[in-house]
Amino acid sequence: MEYESPKDEKTPNTENSEENQWSRRQFLVGTAAIGVAGAVTLFGRQSLVNAARSVFGSPVSSGTVHLYAYDYYYIPNYMTWRVGDRMEVIFQNQSHTHWHEWTMGRHVNEAYFQAFGNLPADAWQEDFWDGVPVTLSDPYGIDNFVPNQAIVTYVGPKAAYNIQSGGDFSPTLKPGGSLHLSFTVPNKPGLWDFGCFVQQYIHYRTGMRGQVMILPA
Amino acid sequence: MAHAMTVPESGHAPRPRKAPMPPVLRAFLWAAIGFLLLNTFVIAVDPFRGHPFVTGPSVVFGWVGAAIGWLLGIGLYDAVLLPLMGFPTRWQERQQGWRRYWEFATDHKVIGLQYMMFAVGGFLIAGGIAMLMRYELMTPYLTIFHYPSNYLTAVGIHGTLMMFSFATVFMIGGLGNYFVPLMIGARETVLSKLSGIGVWLVPVGILTVLFSPLLGEWSTGWRGYEPLAGQDANGILFYYLGVLALTMSSLIVALNLVATVMFRRAPGLTWGRLPLFVWGQVTVNLLMLIWFPEIQTTFVMALLDKVVPLNFFTATGSPLTYLMLFWLFGHPEVYIIAVPAFAIWNEIIPVMAQKSLFGRQWAVIGLVFVMMLSGLVWAHHMFTNLRNSEILPFSFFTEMISIPTGFAYMSAIGTLWKSKVRLNTPMLWILMSMFNFLIGGLTGVFLADPIVNLQLHDTFWVVGHFHYTIIGSMVFSGFGAIYYWLPKLSGRTFNETWGKTLAIITFLAFNLTFSQFFLLGLHGMNRWVPAYPAYLQPMNFEVSIFAFILGAAFLGNILYIGYCWRNGAQAGENPWGAKTPEWFTSSPAPRYNFPVQPEIVGSLYLYGEGTKVPVVTTALGELAATSRATQDPQFDWHDYAPDGGGVTS
Amino acid sequence: MGENVVFAVLWVVFSVLGEIGDRVIIRHNPMYYIVSNQGQLALQAFNFLLVVLTPVFVFVVLFLVFTMVRFTTKRGEMPPANKRFAIDNKAFVLVWVGGSIALNLLFFLHPTTSAMEQMFALDQPAANTHDLVVDVTARQWQWIFSYPQYGLTQTLTPNGQNLLELPVNVPVKFVLRSYDPYHTYDQYADVIHSFWVPAFGIKEDVIPGETRYEYLTPTAITSYAVNPMVRVQCAEVCGPGHPWMESPLAVVSDQQFAQWVKAQKALANG
Ligand code: HEM
Ligand SMILES: [Cu+2]
Ligand SMILES: [Cu+2]
Ligand SMILES: [Cu+2]
Repeated sequence: MEYESPKDEKTPNTENSEENQWSRRQFLVGTAAIGVAGAVTLFGRQSLVNAARSVFGSPVSSGTVHLYAYDYYYIPNYMTWRVGDRMEVIFQNQSHTHWHEWTMGRHVNEAYFQAFGNLPADAWQEDFWDGVPVTLSDPYGIDNFVPNQAIVTYVGPKAAYNIQSGGDFSPTLKPGGSLHLSFTVPNKPGLWDFGCFVQQYIHYRTGMRGQVMILPA
Repeated sequence: MAHAMTVPESGHAPRPRKAPMPPVLRAFLWAAIGFLLLNTFVIAVDPFRGHPFVTGPSVVFGWVGAAIGWLLGIGLYDAVLLPLMGFPTRWQERQQGWRRYWEFATDHKVIGLQYMMFAVGGFLIAGGIAMLMRYELMTPYLTIFHYPSNYLTAVGIHGTLMMFSFATVFMIGGLGNYFVPLMIGARETVLSKLSGIGVWLVPVGILTVLFSPLLGEWSTGWRGYEPLAGQDANGILFYYLGVLALTMSSLIVALNLVATVMFRRAPGLTWGRLPLFVWGQVTVNLLMLIWFPEIQTTFVMALLDKVVPLNFFTATGSPLTYLMLFWLFGHPEVYIIAVPAFAIWNEIIPVMAQKSLFGRQWAVIGLVFVMMLSGLVWAHHMFTNLRNSEILPFSFFTEMISIPTGFAYMSAIGTLWKSKVRLNTPMLWILMSMFNFLIGGLTGVFLADPIVNLQLHDTFWVVGHFHYTIIGSMVFSGFGAIYYWLPKLSGRTFNETWGKTLAIITFLAFNLTFSQFFLLGLHGMNRWVPAYPAYLQPMNFEVSIFAFILGAAFLGNILYIGYCWRNGAQAGENPWGAKTPEWFTSSPAPRYNFPVQPEIVGSLYLYGEGTKVPVVTTALGELAATSRATQDPQFDWHDYAPDGGGVTS
Repeated sequence: MGENVVFAVLWVVFSVLGEIGDRVIIRHNPMYYIVSNQGQLALQAFNFLLVVLTPVFVFVVLFLVFTMVRFTTKRGEMPPANKRFAIDNKAFVLVWVGGSIALNLLFFLHPTTSAMEQMFALDQPAANTHDLVVDVTARQWQWIFSYPQYGLTQTLTPNGQNLLELPVNVPVKFVLRSYDPYHTYDQYADVIHSFWVPAFGIKEDVIPGETRYEYLTPTAITSYAVNPMVRVQCAEVCGPGHPWMESPLAVVSDQQFAQWVKAQKALANG
């Protein structure tokens, strides 16, 4: 910008005297702080959350828990359960346009893709819900439901659940749909993954996934 | 350097006061308050399942609150509203020092520099994102972008910021604001306060688009095609809103410059004598006045589609409506970017050759016809989805538009033929710009041919084509213009060896990067893909290496210009021997530009035997503008000006 | 005068060299790999434009180089000022303006209109009475192919991927639709895709709510394994799955096609 000689700074002119100016230091520190805060919110949120989780752990959820599906992510995407707790998960699809499912397990299979070789995400090698008793209720806007090996009790007329076969245990909700799942956390401690495999597994591949940490009783 | 007089506000004694908050910080604070107020209000009256604090509708209103808070905080409140309502205000326009670039100003030169500063900021951000994209494309699978939606959001932010905060802004808001008044011998612009507010919409727009991922990834790229946009997460709302802020800012520039050219030309500066650069600006300003309201309306409708929701564009059976409306604006937009560059070529070439401009009327006719035809060709972006019967007419006009575009070349070639031109840094950039745009234009002829287009559309051929046209025209000419006008802007000059070396490196890196885009496109590389079939990897890898060099070269130029701005050697008053009025005042020009109203008495583009100096200022003015100012630091041209220097307020 | 002659001679020389270069490029196929009649039209048009534009390109580039070599002052020197300069030259303007009009009219007639007329002729119903009909359904993010004449509703590879297989030298009519056959309740379910086989030299957008047609004849037996340009690729961004919206494609002999149809039928029935 224009060259400002030191002489100018000293001229006894109200406009130029430093006391009546806004502060250069405040300006630099303030904008830099805003810049750093901005960068952290853009890039650093997940790392901050992970760091906090590893330091403080995460609170155990039990009783009624909400699980929201958006395009293409879950809220929350991390939960801690304890073996033997009674849970009621209210799974709700917040999207206006897409159907979403909730599957849980370990180790995704690979799917063959011609130009790209193998890509992750097909189905779980191990389905969390295998042999788990679970009660479904309040179905609304169900796209389909696959019980797989779970021991399912349906509240209300079965037709509302549109029960299908094939694939993992997976309630799939239409946009705006919801479903209650009640169960006792089975004795399967450790870290489990959950995800949404609909639409050629693209939801999962574009980040629609999360984790559940199950603590021993 | 002129030490400008300050007019103390009469009436109220300067009371002791504590130093005010830096306006930018106050603007951030008020923006945060505005956001919280409106967002909370909307959440309270329109809650969503699960009670999230931010929803689509709430964030739209919150954003409006933030934008208003930002503008009030930056100066709308105490510099415009208070005086308007007749209240006393502490605001005084600062006449010198770096601080005036970080607050509200009414001097078109300060505003012009603010536009350039923000545009360069947008360029660096979007350029940095381009580097990340090229890093991702070095491998055929996902690496630094974990998910394809992250990559697609990056492409969208890159394109949107480059187009709306840099390409449209640097030459028009920046160079246009700075030089149009100077080149027509005007002492200020017509809508100077509005213009001073408008420039602060640029950071609003840049930050809005940049932070769009906070609301969720969006996958449409800069064109926002429906019905895909209707499916995207709320991040796309910030695309609409950011572009709204940026186009509003440019619309204000267009209004202000057109009004200034109409009403503030110096005596003797007839339309027939209007400098070419000003012709370029006026034609694109008219395009902006026609088409920016159109795209803003479209974006508001798309926004309502999303948040209400309505069905303007997402209804089954009407997805082409949005595409039509987008390109109706979109094609003129590319000429808004390119035409000022054509004008710059023929502004700088006659000066460097000290030779009369060849076929001046053709150069102007070319600009005007390009402007008119640009509204007739939009559907050439839609050959793959148009009805067959509509393809040929659009192909016809598209091919015809290259005729007036060629006039810029004709004038340049006629002027350079048998000249003795100084091949210095600005001139080198201009010749490079002519080369690059030639490639952009010729590859466009292939695209204008529908049968070829059906193969090349949406491939990297197109990406190569538009980077050649945009960077070739606007970025290379922009660098040429900045080196050319650096003595005017800063009173300082640059070193030829450094300038040329940087230019050549940039040119080589640019061509090595983007020429290979054509081959990638022919070989089957489609757009918007972070993962691609492996056979395309070797070329992509190598392209990325050149792209990094290109990024570094751009950065090097910007840093070097910044360095010369402060530390370059002192430049002469009119170092290139130009004849346009901006050179007939001190460098940088004082507030109100000219000591006294200059008069134009001859053509600005005639050189050689028997031509005269076309700009006349009175003897008093001559003295004031040149010799006195450089010798006497306390010199103030107001003291010499018969009417008090035009200070009316 | 001297400069004019030198320039003209150089222009001719470099244009000839450029044309020789074009021959080499054309021999090696600038579009890399094209195996359909429609793609052949595109390739011919591309080559024609290349050949005609080469002298234009050479003219301007030569001029820029010429300027840097012949029309410059020594470093730091001002251009001589004591001259009169032409600001108009009727002949040059006439040749330039007339030439660019003529060139663009030429391009509009050929290849633009001539090639489009050929393409439209291929699309005439009369020319397509015995076509193989393939229904192409685009949904986010996969291609589904069905062959109504053979009662095949979805053809798959052994890996379970959707597969397009075509007999060589048989005209094909593609019927392009974008919707989700599994989620018809959702009116927003689908978006614009673009049906592109790079080796066929054409892409057409697939638009929700519209039925569009594309006609072409594959001209060589080939497959993705032979050349990776032989693939179905979505070319219009359609969401996060866009990069993976692709399908293998094989062009086979008539007999192989008949066998393949039988195998697919067997697969579908059991
Ligand atoms: C610094 C050098 C640059 C590099 C390496 C670069 C690279 C890229 C790449 C790789 C893409 C993505 C293409 C795709 O997949 O569709 C892209 C898109 C784009 N670029 Fe650049 N770019 C650069 C500078 C610029 C400049 C200066 C502008 C304009 C002033 C610009 C405007 C655009 C636009 C409008 C898009 C399209 C975005 C979309 O598809 O929505 N780029 N660029
Ligand atoms: Cu999902
Ligand atoms: Cu266009
Ligand atoms: Cu697609």
